[in-house]
Amino acid sequence: MDYECIESALRSCRADYAEFRSERRRVTRIVYLGRRLETVDTTLDEGGIVRVLVRNGGWGISTFNSLDNLEHRFDQAYQSARLVQAEPISLAPVAFAHDEIRATLGTDFRHVPLVRKKELIESYNDILLSFGRIVDTQAVYMDEFVTVTYMNSEGAFIIEERPMVTVYLAATAREGSNVQRAADGVSVPAGYERVLGLEEMARKVAQRAVDLLAAETVVGGVYPVICDPKLAGVFIHEAFGHLSEADFVYANPQAQEMMVLGRRFGRDILTIVDDGTLPGMRGTHRYDDEGTPTRRTELVKQGILTGRLHSRETAARMGEAVTGNARATSYRYPPIVRMTNTFIEQGEASFEEMISEIKLGVYACDTAGGQTMLENFSFSAGYGYMIRDGRIAEMVRDVVLSGNLFSTLQQIDAIGNDLTFSQFGMCGKGQGGGLPVGIGAPHIRIQGVVIGGR
Amino acid sequence: MEDILTALRDKAEQAEVYSLEEESTLISFEANVMKSARVEQRQGVALRAVCKGRMGFAAAGGRATKEELIDNLLASAQYGDEVPISFPPAMPGPDVVTYDPTLAEVPFSRLVEIGREIIALLLEADPDAKIGVDIERGLTRWSLGNSAGAQISRQTSNFSVSISVERVRGDDVLLIYDWVSGISLTDAYREVAQRLGVKMELAKRSASLVSGRMPVLFSPVGGLVLALPIMQAVNGKNVQRGVSPMSDKLGQVIFDRKITLWDDPTLPDRPGSGSHDGEGVPCRRKALIQEGSCSGFLYDLKTAALMGTESTGNGARSLFSPPQPSPSNLVMEPGDRSLADILATMRHGLLVEFALGLGQGNTISGAFSNTLGLAYVVERGEIVGRVKDVSIAGNIYEHLREVAAVSQESHWVYGQIKMPYILLPELNVTCKR
Repeated sequence: MDYECIESALRSCRADYAEFRSERRRVTRIVYLGRRLETVDTTLDEGGIVRVLVRNGGWGISTFNSLDNLEHRFDQAYQSARLVQAEPISLAPVAFAHDEIRATLGTDFRHVPLVRKKELIESYNDILLSFGRIVDTQAVYMDEFVTVTYMNSEGAFIIEERPMVTVYLAATAREGSNVQRAADGVSVPAGYERVLGLEEMARKVAQRAVDLLAAETVVGGVYPVICDPKLAGVFIHEAFGHLSEADFVYANPQAQEMMVLGRRFGRDILTIVDDGTLPGMRGTHRYDDEGTPTRRTELVKQGILTGRLHSRETAARMGEAVTGNARATSYRYPPIVRMTNTFIEQGEASFEEMISEIKLGVYACDTAGGQTMLENFSFSAGYGYMIRDGRIAEMVRDVVLSGNLFSTLQQIDAIGNDLTFSQFGMCGKGQGGGLPVGIGAPHIRIQGVVIGGR
Repeated sequence: MEDILTALRDKAEQAEVYSLEEESTLISFEANVMKSARVEQRQGVALRAVCKGRMGFAAAGGRATKEELIDNLLASAQYGDEVPISFPPAMPGPDVVTYDPTLAEVPFSRLVEIGREIIALLLEADPDAKIGVDIERGLTRWSLGNSAGAQISRQTSNFSVSISVERVRGDDVLLIYDWVSGISLTDAYREVAQRLGVKMELAKRSASLVSGRMPVLFSPVGGLVLALPIMQAVNGKNVQRGVSPMSDKLGQVIFDRKITLWDDPTLPDRPGSGSHDGEGVPCRRKALIQEGSCSGFLYDLKTAALMGTESTGNGARSLFSPPQPSPSNLVMEPGDRSLADILATMRHGLLVEFALGLGQGNTISGAFSNTLGLAYVVERGEIVGRVKDVSIAGNIYEHLREVAAVSQESHWVYGQIKMPYILLPELNVTCKR
């Protein structure tokens, strides 16, 4: 890449602020669907984005595949920005960084022969298929290596390599019209070694799909619920985390009132954190996509709302400090406020303590998706068990948790001592495709949750 | 393109080159104010080849070289799927207009005006609301050539407007959304904005409800709860994989006779329309559900070959993945009763405008269990107000067997499926209070 050429384009751009980001991406993917090897392929993508700010205009953006004639792209973005009639936008100050972040991988997947990768995912797929009544599988191996270059008119110059290796295993069991599915996976910014030895995961996935065939649909009602770390983590990301993103409140006084710092959101035991600096996590980077260093931000501390997540624009507008949470899914998109690694801080309760106090309840595990409409949420557990007289009883399925965020957070009355991070967090806010995020939680107990069902 | 086909002539029994170029302009309004303008340029190439009976795939966006692409393609074909498919020769397709040359001429200022008009209209319904509008104008050129002689080159234009409304009052939040698309700039956006305005008005009053079984009326958007499992079940990929509950039901009555669903790529002014699919197979209109009976599935070349049948012209492409079966435009046939007439028959029930959690859980089984994002209580034929903390549950293979009414009125939902209002005689409704 011709950095001098980009620097000169940045310098000559007439905008008040300009930035350039490019990506070179190589993805290898092997997919089994049932016994059938659906595809083994490698795809390449290269492109960039120029984003400029004109103070008496607004944001102007140009995205492109062709990296020729970059001056033209800067000009295109500048002309677009001038046509916008936004309210004045300013950016919170950030010390510009010069940095180069190279990936450190145990076994570099780029040097592992394709045939090895195919044999690996085939072996996991064979395990899934070895279970009776498994009629379909989806076994995916994927590795991705992205090199991102970021430069802005304030002098930032960052090159970052972003690797990701993924194995995803799903099994569908069927008995007549009863069709049940289970899935699990690993997707981490690490080397090939992290996707080896997942035989036990494959067996558990297949066994769970088969077990779900015999499980009854949960009887709808209001229950005390224990969420496992996976479900609790997704719940806190979706239901609470998105409300902490400053772009939800910065232009909406009513929303600011709702999310006023100092408001009590939960009991003293509840602390929620976003931390982009945790080593080896899916949402970890040294800088966000505006060149701001990432950091640890306490969103809720001992039940009280204490912080929120910012881009440079939202931080300036609200007069708060930058947090390094401006992230983009790809070069097709400008950065917006996103979470990095979001988790509920470790508590003190053991699982045995939590469950022993429940006469009739639900143990909801794993996630099959979730959606929130700010105050309202709906989450599907992957599977669950009834809790009877303080013990785990029969397996149940179609466990959908719903309710009101504010009252539900207040009803979290026990937090486990077993904080665990999911290895498969994906966030789909606004921009095409998903953004890797870290999601973590211990077991949590929530009183009075509405469980949908028959 | 020709030179890639030539280069592959000695290396592969069959070959195909797909290339894509796109340009678009997007302007965004956030919280009632214009915020950004974006210009997008996209280009890429995808290749498929059959070598020694195995299918390979490779793709690149940006400046990959021909050699790099062909290397990746041949590596892919070494391990690829053994499917007995044949790329189609040149075949005539239906005459469908997918391109409006005047769209590119629309001045930027007109796009800005549209955004302002929508915001003004919705602020009239509620001055405290925060409105977001995205207006996008796009032009796509794609071409496909294969070793069987097909040579297709097409242009499509696309104009879309998405509108979101956010209203916070204390801890009470209303969040609604709609989307409209076409190949030309028409005033369809106005109708969508007006519908959102009506929803906002109706949501101002609140109502309460007691859990129980009751008649439930699904609006076109709310009706996605019922349509989504059908969309998954008629997809040839799920049929071929044996996970579609309809896979062994062809010709059998599975739903009420009021339910008929078409896949129609010949509709004018729809971005989903076209003369040929992404594999060069001619498109055609076909019934998927006809008067309640299962009458067809959507296939691309591969799923059709595996099922021993013909492609239905539903091979959809995105640059970085092999083709997949996908609907063109889905149309659920309207019924013979007006919405007002249907509402009048409801003594006590629920109108579902928007459900959360679509596609989550075990959708393909037909089971649904959704919290409702926006729903109204209906009493003696009148919509009395918004009800919150409500969820519905059931299974479409049970509940669509008896449908009380389907409306004459129908709307495009998110540009994907045209849906009428559907009244189910009885459904389980759970309320928190």
